[in-house]
Amino acid sequence: MELNSIKDAFDCVIKKQALSTSKFEEAIEQIIQEIDQTLSGIQSALNGLSSQPDHKSILGELKTKLKEIAPLGRLEGTQKELNIALSKYTKLLEKQFNPDISKSYRNVDFDSHTVNQIIAGHFYREGLFDIGDCFINEAHEDVIFVRKTRFLEMYEILESMKSRDLGPALKWATTNHEKLQQNGSDIELKLHRLQFMEILQHGSRDEALKYGRTYFAPFATEHFSEIQKLMACLLWAGKLDLSPYSEFLSPTHWAKLAQELAQELCNLLGESYESPLRVTIGAGVQGLPTLLKLMNVMAGKKAEWECMKQLPVPVDLGTEYQFHSIFVCPVSREQASEDNPAMLMSCGHVLCKQSIAKLSKNNSTRPFKCPYCPTEVEVGQCRRLYF
Amino acid sequence: MEPLPNGNSTVTNATTASATATSLPSLHAGVPSSKLSQLTESLKLEHQFLRVPFEHYKKTIRANHRAVEKEVSAVMSGLSDAGDLSQDDAVQHLNSLVSRLQGLKRKLEDGSRAENLQAQRCRARLDHLESADADNISEWNNTRLKRILVDYMLRMSYYDTATKLAESSSIQDLVDIEIFYEAKKVIDALRNKEVAPALAWCADNKSRLKKAKSKFEFQLRLQEFIELVRSDNNVRAVMYARKYLAPWAATYMKELQKVFATLAFTSNTGCEIYKVLFEPKQWDYLMDQFKQEFCRLYGMTLEPLLNIYLQAGLSALKTPFCYEDDCTKEDPLSQESFRKLAMPLPFSKQHHSKLVCYITKELMDTENPPLVLPNGYVYSTKALEEMATNNNGKITCPRTGLVYNYTEVTKAYIS
Repeated sequence: MELNSIKDAFDCVIKKQALSTSKFEEAIEQIIQEIDQTLSGIQSALNGLSSQPDHKSILGELKTKLKEIAPLGRLEGTQKELNIALSKYTKLLEKQFNPDISKSYRNVDFDSHTVNQIIAGHFYREGLFDIGDCFINEAHEDVIFVRKTRFLEMYEILESMKSRDLGPALKWATTNHEKLQQNGSDIELKLHRLQFMEILQHGSRDEALKYGRTYFAPFATEHFSEIQKLMACLLWAGKLDLSPYSEFLSPTHWAKLAQELAQELCNLLGESYESPLRVTIGAGVQGLPTLLKLMNVMAGKKAEWECMKQLPVPVDLGTEYQFHSIFVCPVSREQASEDNPAMLMSCGHVLCKQSIAKLSKNNSTRPFKCPYCPTEVEVGQCRRLYF
Repeated sequence: MEPLPNGNSTVTNATTASATATSLPSLHAGVPSSKLSQLTESLKLEHQFLRVPFEHYKKTIRANHRAVEKEVSAVMSGLSDAGDLSQDDAVQHLNSLVSRLQGLKRKLEDGSRAENLQAQRCRARLDHLESADADNISEWNNTRLKRILVDYMLRMSYYDTATKLAESSSIQDLVDIEIFYEAKKVIDALRNKEVAPALAWCADNKSRLKKAKSKFEFQLRLQEFIELVRSDNNVRAVMYARKYLAPWAATYMKELQKVFATLAFTSNTGCEIYKVLFEPKQWDYLMDQFKQEFCRLYGMTLEPLLNIYLQAGLSALKTPFCYEDDCTKEDPLSQESFRKLAMPLPFSKQHHSKLVCYITKELMDTENPPLVLPNGYVYSTKALEEMATNNNGKITCPRTGLVYNYTEVTKAYIS
């Protein structure tokens, strides 16, 4: 797609429109002038200065003059040019862009309540609480109260972190201490560590020491070396940038920890890290061109389109949209499923169960040849794979 | 045995983490070129984005021109009349014509200013499309999501939310709030069973509706006729029909006859065919018709953009595995609401295997081949190597808890 040619066409439109406007102005000005002249003509006739005795004949002259000039008629040329430029731009847009992206839309029941719930969830997750509330109001939907409060809490914690206040985050970590331990997460220690460094940098060595004594203890066994380093920092209080631990001061820790915290928060809430609406729309943006092309090919077969159970062509999405392992048997080109799982043959190649059955001609005792290497494979030795 | 939770992902896949409320800077430089080409490809879907303000611009130009031409013609014919007047009257008349023309000049200026504002809006959108490049992909995508949401709000008539959302990210130039407000007037009136604004809209867009062979005006007139019949104003109804329905008779004779027959049946009729014409949901039908005509005129899709992209995305993401209980939370289709929407949609299809490591969530390909544990579970080389290094060569299958030696894994060859 060439944006430059589109921009040029638009510039052309602007030019023609400006031209048209100025021509209009000229025409009006002309008429005004003619009338003014006529008026002064009549005036001088009144004063006996002109040769024309009658105002009627002066008016008659005006009429003829204006007919000659035909101001409106002269505008026709510019108008035509403007119209050409306008339609040229429209045609260019239709050519360079896909003029109807709703072609591949299926007429299925897209329950608006469900969609609204999804949107509301998205707003709360993004921290747009006012907009979410306004939306719920206008759409007359029920508030998903529990989810909203969760996201509110999460948002508060993350916002405080932005202003270097770890209070809410630490409170949350302590409350959820057990769950975090269960998940094997060390975020609590990381938070305490950051707070410790903050105190050491801005406060006193004693305060930091006190803090460390209070909060590092539970982590002593598992993260001993880490805590050793932190306590050693006390020796360099005031000159931390010269210490071997100067990298602890790096501001990137805040950003990194904020991200980890966000992930951990979502994890504990049972939510995904990314807004599912954003993910789906992202996938839609990537996949829609393929679907539209497909629809073009299937132009006359609308009924078939509406009731297909599986897309006939693959839609290529980026790896970030790959949430599940899909195994496609290289022989049958079918996707593996519970009934037809992927099986590892003794040679290391993988086929689906049904393909193996076919190749071995349903005889589970005789070995068959792997289609990809000269090895002979026994059906009984094939192992089911779990991705 | 209950599957154990995933070990901590040591590598935060930077391409997955895009801006959340924390708006974190991208932790790696250089964006894969495939992402950029995908972005440029997706620009082709933005026809509506450029077309709508342009149609509005064209309309304004046309309306202004018509007004100016009309006024100029009026003045010109006023001049011809001046010949019959007395001298003094003629002078007065001419002076009034001149001031009319001066007024017209000012109007022309105002009109030109309005046109320029709209041209600026068209330009702003072109600039926005041009601004999409490697440095701001995720921001550009975020803006697109907001635009799509505003479009949804406007279609559903949630105008407050639309305005708030547009203001919150300063994208007022990139969305069509004013244009939908134009529609709002008509829709609200129709909801109150008034056709006047709708008819005015038809008059405004007469030539284009005619070109598209629209019968919307006819339907509005029919409804007015029915309302007259409903209130037993039969005489007026007939007069109305003569004036406003007759011109459409040639094209829509049958329909006209049917509606005309309501005169005989009145609004209390039990006869089904005619009863339905008196029902209030005829007004709902008119509102829908208007929305369709409106969208068509401006080059907008009939469905909200959100629905179009959602459908495409859901279908592209839908696999049978999404509906299982252990579907990862990161998959939108693990959520009930998404699953519900995706039910009637087709599954996605793959021609080649795409395997994702349960532990690292990374693709298992030739650079990071899949390895098989003795229990049949498969993980990536990277994940198992790391696990073995940190655990004296021992590997614990995260899903079954069974422990093996790294030496016991076999390689799988997946094409």
